[in-house]
Amino acid sequence: MHAELALTMVVLLPLAGAIINGIFGRGVETADEKSAVGKLATGVVAAAFFAAAYCFYVLLQHEGEPIRAHLYDWFTLRLGSHTIPIGVTFVMDRLSGVMTLFVTGIGTLIHVYSTGYMSEDPSYARFFTYLNLFMASMLILVLGSSMPLLFVGWEGVGLCSYLLIGFWFENPNYAAAGKKAFIMNRIGDFGVIVGMFILMMATGSLEFSGINAAAQSGALKGTFELPRPEMLGSAAGLVLVLLGLGVVAFLRKKVNLSPLAWLVAAAVLGGALYVLFVVSPTVSIATAACLFLFLGCTGKSAQIPLFVWLPDAMAGPTPVSALIHAATMVTAGVYLCCRLSPVFMQSPTALMIISVVGALTALLAATIALVQNHMKRILAYSTVSQLGFMFAAVGAGAFTAGFFHVFTHAFFKACLFLGAGAVMHAVHAHGDADVRLLGGMRKHLPVVRWTFLLSCLAIAGFPLTSGFFSKDEILLGVVNAQGIEGYSPEVSWFVFGVLVLAATMTAFYMFRLYFLTFAGEYRSAKAHGSDEAGHDDHGHGEHGYAEHPHPPEPAIAWPLRILGVGAILAGLVNIEPILHVLHIHPEGEWGNWWGHWLGPVVASAGEGLENGWIYAAIGGTAAMAVGIGLAYSMYGSGTRMPAENPGAFHQLLLNKWKVDELYEAVVVWPMRWVAEFAAAVDKYFVDMILAKATATAVEIGGFLFTRVQNGVVYAYGTVMALGVLGVGAWFFLPHPALTVEKLEGETASLRAAVGLGYAYRWDGDGDGEFDSEEFEGSNTLERTYAAGERKAFVARLGGTLVGAVGGADVDITLPTDGSAVTLRDSELGALWAKSSADGSAPVPPVLRVDGDEVVVRPNDALSGRDGNEFRLKYGESAQLGNRTLRVGALVRSSVEVQNAFGVVRRQSKDSVIFPAEAEHAEARHATVGGAL
Amino acid sequence: MSLAGTLLFYLCATIGVGSAVATVTLRSPLRAAVALLLHIVALAGLYLTLSAHFLAALQLLVYAGAVVVLFVFTIMLIGPDAEVPPNARTFGVRALGVAVVALLTAAAVSTVVRISPQTPTLAGCTAEQGAECGQFGGVGALGRVLYTDSVILFELVSVLLLVAVIGAVAVARGRTTKEAEAAKARRLAREAAEAEEEAAARKLSAEVAAHGGH
Amino acid sequence: MISLGHYLALATLIFGLGAAGFLSRRNVLIQLMSIELMLNAVNVVLVAFNRFHPENHAGQLFAFFVIAVAAAEAAVGLSIVISLFRLKKTVESDRADLLKH
Repeated sequence: MHAELALTMVVLLPLAGAIINGIFGRGVETADEKSAVGKLATGVVAAAFFAAAYCFYVLLQHEGEPIRAHLYDWFTLRLGSHTIPIGVTFVMDRLSGVMTLFVTGIGTLIHVYSTGYMSEDPSYARFFTYLNLFMASMLILVLGSSMPLLFVGWEGVGLCSYLLIGFWFENPNYAAAGKKAFIMNRIGDFGVIVGMFILMMATGSLEFSGINAAAQSGALKGTFELPRPEMLGSAAGLVLVLLGLGVVAFLRKKVNLSPLAWLVAAAVLGGALYVLFVVSPTVSIATAACLFLFLGCTGKSAQIPLFVWLPDAMAGPTPVSALIHAATMVTAGVYLCCRLSPVFMQSPTALMIISVVGALTALLAATIALVQNHMKRILAYSTVSQLGFMFAAVGAGAFTAGFFHVFTHAFFKACLFLGAGAVMHAVHAHGDADVRLLGGMRKHLPVVRWTFLLSCLAIAGFPLTSGFFSKDEILLGVVNAQGIEGYSPEVSWFVFGVLVLAATMTAFYMFRLYFLTFAGEYRSAKAHGSDEAGHDDHGHGEHGYAEHPHPPEPAIAWPLRILGVGAILAGLVNIEPILHVLHIHPEGEWGNWWGHWLGPVVASAGEGLENGWIYAAIGGTAAMAVGIGLAYSMYGSGTRMPAENPGAFHQLLLNKWKVDELYEAVVVWPMRWVAEFAAAVDKYFVDMILAKATATAVEIGGFLFTRVQNGVVYAYGTVMALGVLGVGAWFFLPHPALTVEKLEGETASLRAAVGLGYAYRWDGDGDGEFDSEEFEGSNTLERTYAAGERKAFVARLGGTLVGAVGGADVDITLPTDGSAVTLRDSELGALWAKSSADGSAPVPPVLRVDGDEVVVRPNDALSGRDGNEFRLKYGESAQLGNRTLRVGALVRSSVEVQNAFGVVRRQSKDSVIFPAEAEHAEARHATVGGAL
Repeated sequence: MSLAGTLLFYLCATIGVGSAVATVTLRSPLRAAVALLLHIVALAGLYLTLSAHFLAALQLLVYAGAVVVLFVFTIMLIGPDAEVPPNARTFGVRALGVAVVALLTAAAVSTVVRISPQTPTLAGCTAEQGAECGQFGGVGALGRVLYTDSVILFELVSVLLLVAVIGAVAVARGRTTKEAEAAKARRLAREAAEAEEEAAARKLSAEVAAHGGH
Repeated sequence: MISLGHYLALATLIFGLGAAGFLSRRNVLIQLMSIELMLNAVNVVLVAFNRFHPENHAGQLFAFFVIAVAAAEAAVGLSIVISLFRLKKTVESDRADLLKH
């Protein structure tokens, strides 16, 4: 009970903080007020951390039995007869427990850090509102028990990310970066929604537990039908049009892109079309669901092809980069994959695609990071690269390894970002810091230097640091992926090689960054006032930073110290593989706490290669050593600078492989043309023709009608008199409004309307002669008809329609001249026509009048006999299948009404009569055919 | 009804319709007012045939003594302008209005005439009706009703008349020369203040436009 | 003999004359007089019906109130005419058209 309450508080506390700061934080200016805002925001997150710690303690006590806190029922989906209830339920199990702990823990540290880092900002309260809202959304994402709830958190963190990237929205570039992140994420969200629905349709559940259980019992084995080849033409045409628009844009010098890039784009698109329509592979439900979910992950976790937003996201304040774009939100994709690991294990194809994409992302981002010159930008590409590592592991089925890297990466990357922030804070750099203007920070900022160094070691994979454990786990997992059925060894080795290469680059660029920032002398102190850095292509235009960096305040230093220690020690929760290799077998399970802990909730691939650890260990350590060694030899002295005039390839890397430009040409420009076309349609068709024409019509009408408002009072009076005349005209004619009030058997009560000066005369039997020549009757008439007064026979079909539920009565008036009436399907029932045994169109029943009798020739298919006509007298009935046929008589009564003006009007009313009750005794049950 | 009563009805009816025609057709409003006076007197006579003695007296007091006099006062106050010169501009609308009303009236009158034979005729008091019958429509009988069952309505009508008097004074009193001057001064001051405000707003928007786009 | 129908026919005729006058005259004063004619016609109907249903005085009472209201209406109406005359120097109803369109 307490645990459930605490679990609810984990989510609600940050939300409450966001609401309070959001409502009451307006106009916060003084240091005291800011302090209160900061304390509240930090306090709620710290409280959430302690509540999470308590829950985790309970979780440990109960051997990982999940804690469920059900808040309320949200809504219920209906899938045919199957209902899917969706509740707002938070679940802390082994996986979400770990994630919650480090999200709230690191979140608390970053909040503390922010109170110092943001102290000068005028929008202090807004910042903490967003930050708390982010924490709440992230915790909903992590703790949500079902896909929809996760999606709420998924969207919530996306929103907060957008808000915080554009936090300094006065700068249009920053606002644009926010939009870019949001749009990229929206593309991914589309994938998540589609994936979610595929899983829902296939497993009938939206709860993670239900989906995973169904996946393991083979619910995702079915296959999808891919688009048919006939669709190739239209799809290819669409792509060609878009490409053509891009070419036009290129020719008009709107886009700066080399022909090679066009080739790449065309090849990728063509390849996709080829695979989709020509190869047209059979895709299992599992593969489709996983690939759509992975599309969502590429958006949220910045993988190829949607990774380009993350480096731009560094426009936000540095604590945001640390918390959202390094430690927590961007790992949500990995978390989702781990959460649904049994689903992903169902599809080796999807796994291979995921790990290849992950590895390529790791390599691509690492190559870009090699040459960048801005601290946060390097760290951003490093984050993309590390996320690639995680996905490579997830794709190899090594979910625990991938998630372990999430865990360790959170520590050292948060520490690195906060360190970069501390440097920027110290030298008063805004937005980002150019390393070419830094250097020598080890003397000015010793605390930052040491924690930064520890984190660099960790990310490079220095032995016994946290990154060493997690990176080796990943490499081991990738090698072991060969053990998964259907997983190609070549892919496994390819991914392994790419990852080792990326790891080498990681070590290199991280230490390049470290040496450029901390080694040597502080260059801005010397360059102060000179114009040396004026040609900076990123447009900051800084002419150097503050001359004397000031040391970090405690609120900045302490989170750094804690995270720095964490970066070194976090790996110890998974030390077992090392001990295993060293043939040390500790008592209990403390050594491999991580693997044992997550084992029950996360799928695992098992061991695919004997002694795979050798490859992993050698690859990882060698990469680390080579990378650090190269960096030290090039930049260790602290005097060498990045090349002033980079070569072509170097320049391509500086330009980030021109991916942004490629997207600009292939996606943005065609879209813009479509948008411009739409705008033109809006402007010239909607505005000019539709809107203007409507407006003109209204204007003309208005002009005409204002003529009526002539201000002449007797004109208004005349219009009123005309109205009176209109109403009076209705009174000028009598209105009989004859109704049959009651009809029982052969007795009917008729009523005509009353009115001013009305007089009535009736013709009860409908023979055209009035009962009285004078207008002296009353307005009601009660009459019992005789059978001889009938105008015609009426066949009434009652009972149930054939092949349908229920059925209304149908009256068919039979012609008096004896011609035949054929019953229609709609009168008998929709399925009647299909009721013949041999499938041939059956002969429909036919009715006709012969003297005082109705002759019925029933449907042969129903009766199974031929030519068995029978006759029904007035009031008799018979069965036609489920339908009852009854013969009645049509009778008529008329009334004439005269009003005060002497005007006379006549109205007739027909009724269908049947003999009173007695008919059942005489009814001849001519049952025909079998009941359907 | 006695022969005298019948004669009185036809006399009053003839005078009533004739004076009504004169009221709506005479060009001079003063003459129309006199025709109206005649009409009202004729109706008072009709009320007598209907045993509404008190109402007949009231008709003469209120309509002839107050309303028509009020009309005459107004006509005198306005002077020769009270007669509107002929103008054919809106003849069509007016002709249409008269035609519509004539149609409606003709229909209504024909209806009434058609049902007229079925309606009851007047009879004098019979012995069975007793002494009460002669009291019908007298001051005593109507006064009793007015001050018992309908006393609230009666008081409400007095309030209505008071309101009408105050309203009439408020609408028609006009201004003294002094008051008119004071009102003119107030209006000029308000216009000056508005002009000043507008100038300030124009200046502000000009400044915003000059510094826009930062 | 004089029946209820006679009174009703007479009242209808006077009402029609009043309505026609209101719709055909441009002089506000005469339009007001036309209104008085219509009110009077209504009074005749009320009093006549009361005479043929003499159980109570409802019709005469109603006519009494109509006379009172007509007096009030005449007072206010004529004061408006005076205002209009002050403003426009005319009693032509066509000229009181500031609120049109």
